[in-house]
Amino acid sequence: MAFDANSGKLSCPNCGRQDDIETFPEENILQKFAPEEAKEYHCENCGAVLLTEAETTATHCSFCGAPVVLADRLTGDLAPAKVIPFTITKDEAVAAFRKWTKNGRLTPRGFMSGDRIKKMTGMYVPFWLYDIDGNAEVAAIGTRVRAYQHGDTMITETDFYDIYREIDLSYLKVPADASEKMDDELMDKLEPYDYSDLKDFRMPYLAGYLAEKYDYDDNELYSRVESKIVPYIDSYIGSTISGYSTVSYTNKQINANKHKVYYTLFPVWMVYYDFENKEHTFAMNGQTGKVVGKPPISSGKVAAWFIGIAVSTFAVLKAISYLVGGVLW
Amino acid sequence: MSLFKLKQLFLYLLLSILLLVGGPIAFAEIDQHIYDEAGLLSEQEISDLEAYATEKSQEQGADFLLLTTNSTEGQPIEMYMGDFFDDLADESGQENAVVLTIDMGGREFYVAGFGTAETRLDNERVELVLDRVEPYMVDGEYAGAFRETISTADRYMEYRPGVNPESFFLKTWFHAAVALLLGGGIVGTMLYNSGGRVTTTAATYIDRDHTRVTKDSDRFRNKTVTRSKIPKNNKSGGGFGGGGMTGGGRSFSGGGRGF
Repeated sequence: MAFDANSGKLSCPNCGRQDDIETFPEENILQKFAPEEAKEYHCENCGAVLLTEAETTATHCSFCGAPVVLADRLTGDLAPAKVIPFTITKDEAVAAFRKWTKNGRLTPRGFMSGDRIKKMTGMYVPFWLYDIDGNAEVAAIGTRVRAYQHGDTMITETDFYDIYREIDLSYLKVPADASEKMDDELMDKLEPYDYSDLKDFRMPYLAGYLAEKYDYDDNELYSRVESKIVPYIDSYIGSTISGYSTVSYTNKQINANKHKVYYTLFPVWMVYYDFENKEHTFAMNGQTGKVVGKPPISSGKVAAWFIGIAVSTFAVLKAISYLVGGVLW
Repeated sequence: MSLFKLKQLFLYLLLSILLLVGGPIAFAEIDQHIYDEAGLLSEQEISDLEAYATEKSQEQGADFLLLTTNSTEGQPIEMYMGDFFDDLADESGQENAVVLTIDMGGREFYVAGFGTAETRLDNERVELVLDRVEPYMVDGEYAGAFRETISTADRYMEYRPGVNPESFFLKTWFHAAVALLLGGGIVGTMLYNSGGRVTTTAATYIDRDHTRVTKDSDRFRNKTVTRSKIPKNNKSGGGFGGGGMTGGGRSFSGGGRGF
């Protein structure tokens, strides 16, 4: 039995049986270990010893390929609160990735064929979602400038205003990836996820995928989230002060605290792509299909685009100046 | 047969007479461009400049003339120049000309545009020509001044009337710079975004129900007023001009300066 991204149910690829995850008894798929038990897992299907990394919570048996969920790594403090299930199946992910490679305007021709996918791994990546409450107190001096001509004198009138704002702030479910392995920048670019699909966590969602547990807890990650939302807060403050020629802040105090955190698993397709003897890693949002990752760049294409744009711009400007001025050079 | 030949010969003659008479009227060219009454130029300079002026005059269909004098006989320089050109135009039939007048007595020089040159070298363009000629005049390089007048006026007259020929929008360096910046900007953005774009914004995670301004005030504090005189865009060096009308009723564009 494995989670099927299309139906959102557990389904058996052999007999076609489907089970609803919300009502599916967990005993059927999970194996429980007592905390003191040695951290050695056996495949329930074939009995082989499972070789896993310490942060793996769901994987496949390397001998028989059966999906395994390591339940003790998903309970207690390590129990995720929410999950966004995969909505893009492996086939859809492959198709979406191929389509994406074709859009690469600067990638080498061979890369664009999209047929060198070495491996695609569906993975639930641990994230912390923060509900953030806060307030801001802002004082600033704003100016309104009016300039007009009177006779042969230019008169500039500058009105100064004292600006004061008190603002209540609230941001909901700001994500930060809690896995050490995953590149932060890559994971940030995968956002946004559609939170309407956010489900209460149930272990069977993981069946058939890889999953990891968090490496950083919510306190360790808070500073990263803070650095993410401070620009948001600044731009909101800026939006509350309008109608001035210039604004200079004399005092800006922002208080932001986490109000609630949710340990959440987000679906990510990792794509390992071979090109010119190098492996390139891409990540795809398993919900929206957005692809991120550095593709190889063809310097020939970069040059061609640059020259093409520069030459045609030059020609257009020359044409305009000929029409306006009547002279080409 | 012989009668026919005679008729033909007669027609030929008539035609060539018509051409001879009509030619100068149609293309009205002046064979002397330099009237150096003050004796500022050497023989060599005169012959060189004459050749240059003739060549450019043919290209533009307007003659480039130089008039120098030691005295304007008490008249303003544009009046003196106007009388000179009235005589010349009445004589030659050439109404299109650019005239550089140098008055050594009053130490002034004046550039005027007649006929087609009145619009093709309007007052604004005359000012730009004066800007370029002035250094030569100050240095006493009168040959250089005339050469500069011809080359600059010749260049400016190519432009559509009313367009500032020195506008940087029409300059090749500006076109090249914009083309390179745009190319670099677009390709740079493409490169920057090739790894995927950040599509979250300040609005993505905001809770609109609970984010709001609870207290605000915008209090007027004080006001400052600054006054500055607008510099009159006078011709530098105390110039004068704006064209006018000659005694013979020819209107012209023009401008002059002291040196």
